[in-house]
Amino acid sequence: MRVLSDVSLDVARGELVALLGSSGCGKTTLLRSIAGFVTPQSGRIRVAGRDISGLPPEKRGTAMMFQSYALWPHMSVAANIGYGLRMRGVARDAIAKRVDELLALMQMQGFASRSVAQLSGGQRQRVALARALAVDPALLLLDEPMSNLDYKVRIELRHELRALQKRIGITAVYVTHDREEALTLADRIAVLDAGRVVQYGSPEEIFHRPASAFVAGFMGADNAIELTRDGDGRLRSSRTNGGEPVVAHFRSDVARIDASSSASDADLQLHGQVVQTLYVGQGYRYRVHTDGADVWAHASHRIDEGAPVAVVVPRDALLLFPRASSAS
Amino acid sequence: MATLADDTVVEMRRSGDSRFVAFALLAPALLVVGLFFVVPLVLSAVGAFRSTEGAFTLAHFAKALDLYTRDLLFTIEIVVLSTLLIAAVAIAIAGYLTLGEHPRAVAILRWLYRWPLFIPFVVAGQIMRTFLAKNGMLNHVLIGSGLIAPISAQSMLDWRGIVVAFVWKQAPFVTLLLAGAMAALERQHIEAARNLGAPRWRVLVDIVLPQVRGTLLVGLVLSFVAMLSVLSVPLMINPNSPTMITVDVAYRINTFADYAVANALCLLSLLLAAFGAAFYLRHAVRKVEDA
Repeated sequence: MRVLSDVSLDVARGELVALLGSSGCGKTTLLRSIAGFVTPQSGRIRVAGRDISGLPPEKRGTAMMFQSYALWPHMSVAANIGYGLRMRGVARDAIAKRVDELLALMQMQGFASRSVAQLSGGQRQRVALARALAVDPALLLLDEPMSNLDYKVRIELRHELRALQKRIGITAVYVTHDREEALTLADRIAVLDAGRVVQYGSPEEIFHRPASAFVAGFMGADNAIELTRDGDGRLRSSRTNGGEPVVAHFRSDVARIDASSSASDADLQLHGQVVQTLYVGQGYRYRVHTDGADVWAHASHRIDEGAPVAVVVPRDALLLFPRASSAS
Repeated sequence: MATLADDTVVEMRRSGDSRFVAFALLAPALLVVGLFFVVPLVLSAVGAFRSTEGAFTLAHFAKALDLYTRDLLFTIEIVVLSTLLIAAVAIAIAGYLTLGEHPRAVAILRWLYRWPLFIPFVVAGQIMRTFLAKNGMLNHVLIGSGLIAPISAQSMLDWRGIVVAFVWKQAPFVTLLLAGAMAALERQHIEAARNLGAPRWRVLVDIVLPQVRGTLLVGLVLSFVAMLSVLSVPLMINPNSPTMITVDVAYRINTFADYAVANALCLLSLLLAAFGAAFYLRHAVRKVEDA
């Protein structure tokens, strides 16, 4: 089975690139190909100008942080962190010094002799990161390292990881299915779908100017409605004759339900009925059944289910794609 | 209306009933173990300390040690050496099955290594006779390939033959246990080590073996005890002195009907096996404590 095809990515020195995609899109396979655990049928992988495609994992000079952390339970924290240095024949004193430095960097002084079984999830994550950083790798590979953590710890560590990566200037490739994580951490994001890179760019570019309906949907603009665009750019119902058939994507947080709406002519107005209500803390999220499709919209106040409403989407918040490409 | 006291009586009766059912279920097993294992063992142990007049004596042990100390040491040497070689072979095979990178070679090895498991010790002994004898297959191959001259061909039907037979027969058993334990390890533990620069042999030594050493120990202890009790292999390959204790026990009984000395030799064998059992129990206790 072909998992990846026609993948081409370049990562600049000191840059953190996120591979973003849903489960099974090939992002972990791509990371494992770089690490040497999967052999591509064709193509080349170069790190700092050196072709590493044919090298076994131990000779690639990359360091990987695994989703499960893969800390060795029979070794102490210090032995785990220092293992890569031991394999490089570094002297015992130098290893101990480097382990102390990394524990200080991870704010885990005093943990050196602890068993990894005694650590919390966040501490394990730090040890796994320290172990990967200890060998000063040319490329750091991170495979969904936050996915096993509680939300609060995840947010804290996300900020710490970003600050740390900036401070030490390491080049990293980070696999995630969490778009917020990718937007927060990455200098550039590669969005993958069915084994292909469908867009590669800065977080702002990916978020505001998605290249396809798939990327728009993945980045949160999951409301989609079929429309027709006139020659003068005005949007009309898809049933209108003539014009270019398009699909408009928009995020639910830009779609507002407002009876006293001051919508301009250019804004998209959809009329429908509230069919589902969700309280989301800062307001309410409504599923509105319109003529074209069901859309999600926000409002600050409570509206009864079944009530007729108008959903207004500002024109500049609409992401338009040719209708044929909406399936891509 | 039922009172609290009534409830308590009913509860006690129920618990008494369930205890009876549990005992009834266990009784056949206990009876079999008692009649066919414990009673003969106790009688054998008692027989080792009883003179023909029925008095307590250590004379049978003195005679056993006088006649067979060399064989006891020979037995220990053979079994310890075999255990060490079994460990080396099992680690090598299980290690390759876990870390090997050529799928076809791994598949062939996985298919091949288990064969001796299905071959009884007596057949293993017979195979080794035809393989290791002076005019056996091994020497034919060595002479045919020009590695040795025909005149220097020698029989290996001595201690070496017993060791080869034991290792050939028991290594697959330990490998089976070890390969299962290695396969159960989290794959990412191995990948993390390789990723940090460890070649495969270092991954085996540093990462895999420490995590499966309990299983290895259990397999080796079980093999150690099994080898102590094998009669057919030493009888077929090396029945002359020095030989293994099992041959001596059979000889005392079949030739002299000397059950007392045979019992004493059996108890000495049991003592050796107890060393293995002590290792096994220590590990089992540690595992329970860790859990």
